[in-house]
Amino acid sequence: MKKVLQVGFVGNPNCGKTTLFNAYTGANLKVANWPGVTVEKKEGAFKYHDYKFKLVDLPGIYSLTSYTMEERLTREFIMNSDVDVIVNIVDASSLERNLYLTLQLIEMGKPVVVALNMMDIVEERGMEIDLHRLPEMLGVPVIPVSARKKTGLDILMHTVAHHKDKYIDPNLEHHHGKYTKEYSKHRHEHHEEYPVVYSDLLEDKIDEVSERIRENHGNIDNLRWYAIKHIEMDEMAQAKYPIDSNGIVHNSYEEEIINQKYDFIEEIIEEVLVNKAKKAAVTDKVDKVLTNSYLGLPIFLGIMAFVFFLTFQIGDFIKGGFEGGLDAFSNSVFNLLTVIGAGDFVTSLVVDGIVAGVGGILTFLPNIFILFLALAYLEDSGYMSRVAYVMDGIMGKLGLSGRAFIPMLLGFGCTVPAIMASRSLENMQDRRKTILVTPFMSCSARLPIYVLFSQMFFGKNAMLAAYSMYLIGIAVAIIVAYVMNKNSEKSTQNTLLIELPEYKAPNLRTILIYVWEKVKEYLTKAGTTIFAASVLIWFVLNFGPGGMVSDMSQSYGAMLGKTVSPLLAPAGLGMWQVVVALISGIAAKEIVVSSFSVLFGIANINSVEGMAGLTQVLADYGFGALNAYSLMVFCLLYIPCAATIGVIQREMRSAKWTVFTILFQLGVAWLVSTLVYQIGSLFLA
Amino acid sequence: MTLLNATIGYTYMVNSLELDKVTVRRLEALGLTRGTKIKLLNRNRGGSVIFMVRGSRLAVGKKIADSIQMREA
Repeated sequence: MKKVLQVGFVGNPNCGKTTLFNAYTGANLKVANWPGVTVEKKEGAFKYHDYKFKLVDLPGIYSLTSYTMEERLTREFIMNSDVDVIVNIVDASSLERNLYLTLQLIEMGKPVVVALNMMDIVEERGMEIDLHRLPEMLGVPVIPVSARKKTGLDILMHTVAHHKDKYIDPNLEHHHGKYTKEYSKHRHEHHEEYPVVYSDLLEDKIDEVSERIRENHGNIDNLRWYAIKHIEMDEMAQAKYPIDSNGIVHNSYEEEIINQKYDFIEEIIEEVLVNKAKKAAVTDKVDKVLTNSYLGLPIFLGIMAFVFFLTFQIGDFIKGGFEGGLDAFSNSVFNLLTVIGAGDFVTSLVVDGIVAGVGGILTFLPNIFILFLALAYLEDSGYMSRVAYVMDGIMGKLGLSGRAFIPMLLGFGCTVPAIMASRSLENMQDRRKTILVTPFMSCSARLPIYVLFSQMFFGKNAMLAAYSMYLIGIAVAIIVAYVMNKNSEKSTQNTLLIELPEYKAPNLRTILIYVWEKVKEYLTKAGTTIFAASVLIWFVLNFGPGGMVSDMSQSYGAMLGKTVSPLLAPAGLGMWQVVVALISGIAAKEIVVSSFSVLFGIANINSVEGMAGLTQVLADYGFGALNAYSLMVFCLLYIPCAATIGVIQREMRSAKWTVFTILFQLGVAWLVSTLVYQIGSLFLA
Repeated sequence: MTLLNATIGYTYMVNSLELDKVTVRRLEALGLTRGTKIKLLNRNRGGSVIFMVRGSRLAVGKKIADSIQMREA
């Protein structure tokens, strides 16, 4: 019988935690949110020897305070779940800072195994780490691994299996040179039990508090950890095991505890780190250029322009094959249905509804794939946090920290995770503002709309027209943030605080897994939301009060569209078909494109013939280039998709705010597209 | 002296952090404790700075940069 071992992966952000996790689990993992909140936790499983390992990837954190949601959740997970072993991934190239979390984890009293990652960077810099001394001082096993090269993986899990019942190795050995003299005179004999021993003053208090907790609550697990949290006046620990700490805890000793942990880390570094960095890190040289006061911003804009160039050009290049496939598929489905004698009703539903709606969306997969590949590359290389630094000045003028730019940038991929990423912002006001403007950053679901309409109406300038959407989106986001900042009574503070990790060659496996997840989401969306919406649209457009109609203008859809269309006439969008497409696009923005396929009965909308056909039909309605541009602008800015509305509601927990966001964005979309159409008409007239 | 008027490429010693408690705790957890040495690496026109502390690079905005009191090491 196999035994199940639950292993939690904990580490600083950028320590290679996810890469290591992926090295074990590959792409078959389950991404789940914590109950009630949207902090992601990933789970994966594999078998090794007699054990079945269940791995849980926890959010990247620096500390185990209760100040941020990620830290609280990790704490709760370690304290309360049935996790057997904690694997603490430590970035060896930043050992000093990483060990701070390690010491806290060891203090929690669960078995800890340290996975020492990025040893290659350490070696490149001509440094060495004493792998014999380090575990002696920490009291837990230290296993060198390389998440990228996939070395040390078996040894790590072997150690996990062997270490599952041990908290601290009994061979703990410290000299405590000057620190012992300053702090502790071995009165407590704690030096044999714990790696970190605080000053006599603090140890006395920890002992006294431990005693009181025991008196009140019996022999609890992790007693020492709770006692330490009590003298830090940690609210969650105080609420869980309330005691009368009068006479012991006069004020929070948090600062002393942090300082003394770092003192111990200095001691470790002194003993285990040989040849401290002699070579200037490559990162500093690269940063001289990428974060340069004058060059930083132009370089960033250049990189983004390049990303979109790749998305449109290379994406379109690959797209050809997809279209041929769809044409052939559509024809064979039609033939098959005719052969088996399916009625007009079924044939129309399948060919005009489902194949046109869903298939049309699938042909945009290459563009989406390239975009996510580029974003993943930027994220994994370490450049993203530099962008926060480079943009901090501009964002400061909008009353936001440079960090708020990261969710906005991620918004180019998909608004849903981008809004979730705003959680890294500390203050609520910043988050609210960021969440309000992030949907204006044009997400990949809007890409099909731009690709289609810009190619139909703007010929050689298609890419320019599509690129301008991104610029308009950014401009609107900036203006909205600026106006909000001017009107808020409290001037927000500039509180950028972010770590800049070492640059690294992005890991192909990490990137591919990330992109595959996105592609999978896209395909799932095509198979579910877009499928359902296509069927629904087909029904709404083919049925009217008198049953199935042969002329769509008699359908329910047309009736609805005609009621609303006068409102959109000033924006040049006063066609009932456009209204139907826009309304259905709320389910997911790609559906605007699907709707056009279904509305005008075009089987392969993204092909040259499909576009020519649609352009012709639209021209008959007097829908020209300016209308198309106005439509693109409207699609860029109007109501975010259903999934985004859901995530805004979950993050803000306020129905009022969610409704405001929807109305606000609808208003902005109407205003801007009307301006575009009216001003454009003056010039064209 | 604060990080805002320090010289790029020089190393300093932290005297105190004059900020709200939560931000101070976060900085301390990142290793920016009293008496720590930090090296200023870069500063942009908006006043945001990049510095090295305990082997890792941090970027902070103008407000935090101006609240890190230090002396020459």
